[in-house]
Amino acid sequence: MWIDLAITLVKIFFILAVTVGFFAPILTWVERKQSAIMQDRIGANRADIMGFTALGLFHIMADGLKMFTKEDFIPQGANRLLHTLSPIIALIPAILTFAVVPFGGKYTMWGQEVNLVISDLDVGLLFVFAIASIATYGYVVAGWSSNNNWSLLGSMRTASQMISYEVAMGLTIVGVLMVYGSMQLTVIGAAQEDFWRWGFFMQPLGFLMFFAASIAENKRVPFDAPEAESELVAGYFTEYSGLKFGMFFMAEFIEMVTIGAIVTILFFGAWHIPFLSTATLISMFDFLGDSFANLIVMLIHVGVFFGKVTFFIFVQMIIRWTLPRFRYDQIMKLGWKILLPLSLANIVVTGIVILALN
Amino acid sequence: MAYYVNRNVKLTWWERSFIPEIIRGMLITSRHFFKNLFGFVPFFLGKKKDREIFTVYYPEETIQFPIAYRGRPVLALNEHDRPNCVACGLCEIACPAYCIDIIPGENSGKQNEVERYPVEFTIDYAVCIFCGFCEEACPEEAIFMSDQYDITMLDRKKMKYNMKQLLVPVSELKDRMDFCRKMYGKWNY
Repeated sequence: MWIDLAITLVKIFFILAVTVGFFAPILTWVERKQSAIMQDRIGANRADIMGFTALGLFHIMADGLKMFTKEDFIPQGANRLLHTLSPIIALIPAILTFAVVPFGGKYTMWGQEVNLVISDLDVGLLFVFAIASIATYGYVVAGWSSNNNWSLLGSMRTASQMISYEVAMGLTIVGVLMVYGSMQLTVIGAAQEDFWRWGFFMQPLGFLMFFAASIAENKRVPFDAPEAESELVAGYFTEYSGLKFGMFFMAEFIEMVTIGAIVTILFFGAWHIPFLSTATLISMFDFLGDSFANLIVMLIHVGVFFGKVTFFIFVQMIIRWTLPRFRYDQIMKLGWKILLPLSLANIVVTGIVILALN
Repeated sequence: MAYYVNRNVKLTWWERSFIPEIIRGMLITSRHFFKNLFGFVPFFLGKKKDREIFTVYYPEETIQFPIAYRGRPVLALNEHDRPNCVACGLCEIACPAYCIDIIPGENSGKQNEVERYPVEFTIDYAVCIFCGFCEEACPEEAIFMSDQYDITMLDRKKMKYNMKQLLVPVSELKDRMDFCRKMYGKWNY
């Protein structure tokens, strides 16, 4: 029992270290530097320690330091309690979704079974959507409580956009659920061991729609109407400064990691390497003994999983710096008139194909 | 009344499905990314001309200006360690911003000595507009525009340069001197 507790604590620590400790800070740097290189600029390179700039990596520290030392500003007439609470409501769900995200399979080492997911819920996928939609409250309350027209407009847009795209997103997922017959993310991941059983080949349209809807959920360009800096000053977080602003920022980047992880698990074979099943991989390291072979395979699988996640974060970044922002009515049109009927059609076609194959 | 701009853009159904066009756009940005990635990363290894990105890392590296560039005006110090200037005051008159201030001095008329010389020669760079009229007006090739432009001070008083700060050996001004002879000689001064 103590061993189970210790393993769970290690997994929680690992997930926190990877998302909050590694991805969130590094992505702030990556976004600046990647966009710069993409647009033939140079990008952040001025922060230095003893004349050593490390390609602008010290800007992460400089940004953090700046956010810590800024004034924590609450505008006049704002609701002080909700104004303080909303960044927390926005950030916590982003981290919480990782409770059910598996980053590896099941491995038996030294008589102990290790399942690389913090909490293996039966309704894992539902849990992700439920928690992610709580974050909407954070954004809406943030805009409402700061007593600012731009903020309010931003939060209204957030609410309508999140609701529209959550529908399409949920219906897109139904196709995946029908194919794999489970809501448990570990089961869905384990079912994709064969390369041709990856979700991408089962649900190509579903992948495109899910990816688009999830970028819209995360409010990034092309769907960044809620924080459109050329229309509304900064949208719902106009009145936020210092670390509260930083929390909104971090929530966005962690959600990017979440999207990468969910897309990887549902459509791109989770932790599996193409054409290399777990059994063959373990037999390759069999000369080290069964436990060590399992350990090495586990590390390889975690590495592969986060490699795929990094790739999808990279794709999201490329999309963000390639496409211009949609107009607000275009966003609504895409959500309700295109994605919703298409996802319904996707469900029908998937059902017919499954029936025909049985 | 709303009106519609005819942009003569007829999209095919292939373009209107967006997905292939989005992928095409992403390929363009990715191509730039990977092309620049190898041009930009080793900036400490090569100079600007070896990189794809044209931006100059300014304080660490600067570019060579063309000789016609007008930086801050400096005084020429000739081979005998004396300024070429004879304190005639023509530059002072030519200056549209009144930034030059000369206090002339006179010799007693001994042999082999200049008759007039500047006791003090002050240029206030906070006022100077870098027009180059002083250089054009000078009959003695004593004042030249250099290629230095980064004159920044925290105190406005320090922008006033006295003669000691202004003097530059004439050997360093050779190129500009030739340029001036060519340019102003053309107009029969």
